[in-house]
Amino acid sequence: MTRSLPVDVAFWLFGAGSVLSAWLVFRTDSMVRAAYWLLASFAGVGVVMVLLHARFLGLVLVLMMAGEMTIMAVFMVMFMMNPAGLNPMTMVHQHRTAKVAGVVAFAGLALVGVVGDFPDRPADPSRDPTAALGRELLGDSMLIFEGAGVTLLATMIGALAIAGKRGRYGDAEHGSAPPPLGMAAPTGGGGVGGADAAAGPAGGDEHPGMAGMEHP
Amino acid sequence: MSWSSPLPAMALVGAVLVAGSYVVAVLDAAMAGAVAGRRTRLGDAALRPARHAALLLVTRRSGTERPDARAWALAPALLAAMAAVGVATVPLSRDVAVADVADGIVLFGAAMAVVMVGVFLHGWSANSPMPLLGGYRFIALALSYEMPLALVLIAAALPAESLSVGAIVDSQHDLWNVVRQPLGLPLYLVAGTGLAFWGPLDTCDAADLAGGTAVEVSGPARLVWELSRRFVLVAVAVMGAAVFLGGWQGPLLPGAVWMALKALALAALITWLGHRVARVRLERFVVVAWTVLIPLALVDVFVSGAIAL
Repeated sequence: MTRSLPVDVAFWLFGAGSVLSAWLVFRTDSMVRAAYWLLASFAGVGVVMVLLHARFLGLVLVLMMAGEMTIMAVFMVMFMMNPAGLNPMTMVHQHRTAKVAGVVAFAGLALVGVVGDFPDRPADPSRDPTAALGRELLGDSMLIFEGAGVTLLATMIGALAIAGKRGRYGDAEHGSAPPPLGMAAPTGGGGVGGADAAAGPAGGDEHPGMAGMEHP
Repeated sequence: MSWSSPLPAMALVGAVLVAGSYVVAVLDAAMAGAVAGRRTRLGDAALRPARHAALLLVTRRSGTERPDARAWALAPALLAAMAAVGVATVPLSRDVAVADVADGIVLFGAAMAVVMVGVFLHGWSANSPMPLLGGYRFIALALSYEMPLALVLIAAALPAESLSVGAIVDSQHDLWNVVRQPLGLPLYLVAGTGLAFWGPLDTCDAADLAGGTAVEVSGPARLVWELSRRFVLVAVAVMGAAVFLGGWQGPLLPGAVWMALKALALAALITWLGHRVARVRLERFVVVAWTVLIPLALVDVFVSGAIAL
C-alpha cells in the first residue's frame, strides 16, 4: 500500500490496538474472552501486515486465527472443567516466573531491536508479494514448511486423542455421575474417599476437586 | 471505477445487503406459504418481513443474568460487518466494484471465518444453556464446512490464475465455472448454507434448542440478529454468483441486472432448500463433511488445477 497519511494513521492505530488487546488477554478473567482478545491482537497485526504490503499473509493470519482462537477457547474449556468459561477465574499464574520470563524476553527483543543490523533493501513494488510467497513455500522452504505442517497435524491428533471420550485415559464417563441437581454440594473430606472407591483402577488421576461430583 | 470517498461505496454495499435480505425474507415468506399449500397473496408476502420487523422494534428487550453484554452486542455487528466485507470484494457490474482487491478471495475467506466467532459469541455471551449449546454446535458445523468452502474457492481461482474476484469473473468469459467445475457450486451451496446457518444446516439457532443462540434475544436486538444473518446469506449468494455463475456477464441486460438475478437465484435456491430439506443431525453432517465433502472438494481442486495447467 502506498504511503499516505491515512495509511500511517491506520498503521499506528492498529499497532496500538494490537498491543492494547494483547495486554487485555491477561487482564480478563475468562478463557473465551482471553482467546478473543488474543484474536483481536492478531487481527491488528494482520491489518498492519496488509498495510506493509504483505496482503496475503495478513489476511491468512486473520483467517487462520479466527478459527484457531475459537478452537483454543473450546479446548481450554474442555480441559479446565469450566463450562462455557463464563465463570470468572484468574488467567495469570506463577507470578515470579512470569515476571522474570517477561523481563528477559523484553530485554532480549529490545536488544535485538537496538543493536541488530537490519538490512535496508527496498522491495520492488512491481513484484507481486503473493506470487513470491508461493514460490518460496513450494521452492526452497518447502521442507521446512511441510515439516512444520506435519508436526502441527500430529499435535492436533494428539490433543484430540487426549480430549476424546475414549481417549488416552480411558472412557471419559468411567466413574463419573451427573452432578446432583438442586442439592447442596457434599463436603470435601468424605467425597475424596468416595471418589477413590468409585473410580477404581483408572481413578488415580482424578482431580480431588472433582470428588464432589461422585456418588459415594 | 475508483471511489473518491468511502461513503458512496459503503452506501452501495449497505444497499445491496439491505435490499437483498429483504427480498430473501419475502421469498422465504412466499415459499413457506407455497410449501404449506396455502395461497399467499403477493402483497401479503411482500409486507410480511416489514410487519415482523415493526413488531420486533416495539417488543420489549429481554435479558439474562450476568451476560457478557459487550460481546453479546458485538456478535451481530461482526456478522453484518463481515458480510459487508464479503460483498465489497465482488464486482457488481463491469466497472463497479467496491474493493476488488488482488487477494479478494482470501479476504472473503477471512471475513467468513470471523462469522464463526460472531455466532459463537452470540451463543456464549448470553450466559444461558440453550444459546451456549447453539454456539458449540456452530463451531462443529463451521469447522466442517470451512475446508470445502476454502477448497472450492481456491479451485475457482485456479483457471483465473489470480485470487482477485474480478479476475475470476473475467476468467468465465467463455465458460462459467458451474460447467467447468461441476463439483464447485454444489459444494459451495452446502458450505454456504452452513455459513448462513440456514434451513437444513440451521443447527445453532434450531427449533430443537428453542431457538439456539437467539433464544434469549428479543426486541430490536432480535431484529438486528435476524438481519445480520440474512446479510451473511446475501454475501454467500453474491459471491457464489460471481465465482460460479459468471458474475455480471450475460447478454442483452446490463451487468448489474445479471449480477442481481444470479445472486437472487442462488439465494432463492438456498431458501427453497431450507423449506424442502429436513434439518440434518450435526453429528451426521460432520462425518459427511470430513469423509465426503472435503475429499470431493480436493478432487475439484486437483481436476481444476490439471485443466488449468
